[in-house]
Amino acid sequence: MYGWIWRHLPGNAWVKALISLLLILGVVYVLFQYVFPWAEPLLPFNDVTVDEGMGAGAGAAAAGAGAL
Amino acid sequence: MTHDESYEDGAGQTTVVATDQGEQTQRPAPARRPRGRGPIATAVMVFGELLITAGLVLGLFVVYSLWWTNVLADREAQKQGDAVRNEWAGRGGEDGGPGELNTKDGIGFLHVPAMKNGEILVKKGTDLKTLNDGVAGYYTDPVKSALPEDDKGNFSLAAHRDGHGAKFHNIDKLDSGDAIVFETKDRWYIYKVYKTLPETSKFNVDVLNPVPKESGAKKPGRYITLTTCTPVYTSKYRYIVWGELDRVEKVDARRTPPKELR
Repeated sequence: MYGWIWRHLPGNAWVKALISLLLILGVVYVLFQYVFPWAEPLLPFNDVTVDEGMGAGAGAAAAGAGAL
Repeated sequence: MTHDESYEDGAGQTTVVATDQGEQTQRPAPARRPRGRGPIATAVMVFGELLITAGLVLGLFVVYSLWWTNVLADREAQKQGDAVRNEWAGRGGEDGGPGELNTKDGIGFLHVPAMKNGEILVKKGTDLKTLNDGVAGYYTDPVKSALPEDDKGNFSLAAHRDGHGAKFHNIDKLDSGDAIVFETKDRWYIYKVYKTLPETSKFNVDVLNPVPKESGAKKPGRYITLTTCTPVYTSKYRYIVWGELDRVEKVDARRTPPKELR
């Protein structure tokens, strides 16, 4: 996969390295700007409130029913 | 082994030339298998690279949640806090500036000396969108919070333990007798912690009640409740700190803080 990308980049090794670096930066940017903010609320690491399970979003209905 | 070869395949066009020239002297016949890698080897290689990629992405996610969200949230909280203070000072609105910020819900600042993290802007609501700006929110649901100026009730707050400003990260440093000071435009409300609950179910909404019985409170009073998640880096349980109003001070012209903050 990575070998394939490397082979298909133009230029000599230095140019390829530079383009690779830009590609990596681009991927990191997309992850930080779009992917992680989207994924984070779906993961159970950052719920800080006490609730009846309703406010927490998807899948919580059953828990909510059992809560009170 | 397969990996090494594959990388040389790509980078090593010069190597190929060298081999061609030195044909007679050395001929590593089996070493060079041009392009033709078996389908299984290719599959294993791609799979391995995907695993490596997944590992890197997960690592980046940790960096994102424990560092980058703090950077963003602190910046945002600073901006919103400044806007609230400007408004208090009567400089809001008309002189342009960043007046479009959503500060209408910013009701004041929480100071908790024992947490050693400065002031925390307090806004209405505890949904993630609010809390992710590095502020604390007061509950509107499931139990509606009282406000500090109310005669009786429980002023209940939530904030992040990690990431997004991590405003309640040091909540475990709070002990009975520690001060929690809430600053509004014209009042300092000084609460004293009287009970902490290091671990409770996330469905335990009774901790927010106007008279939080679990803390030992018996009669209506002016309480404050801080909630966040615990243990750190997870959301399995909730950490609760209760305080009761000790006294109220008027804000003077120079906003001299009460002695707990000096």
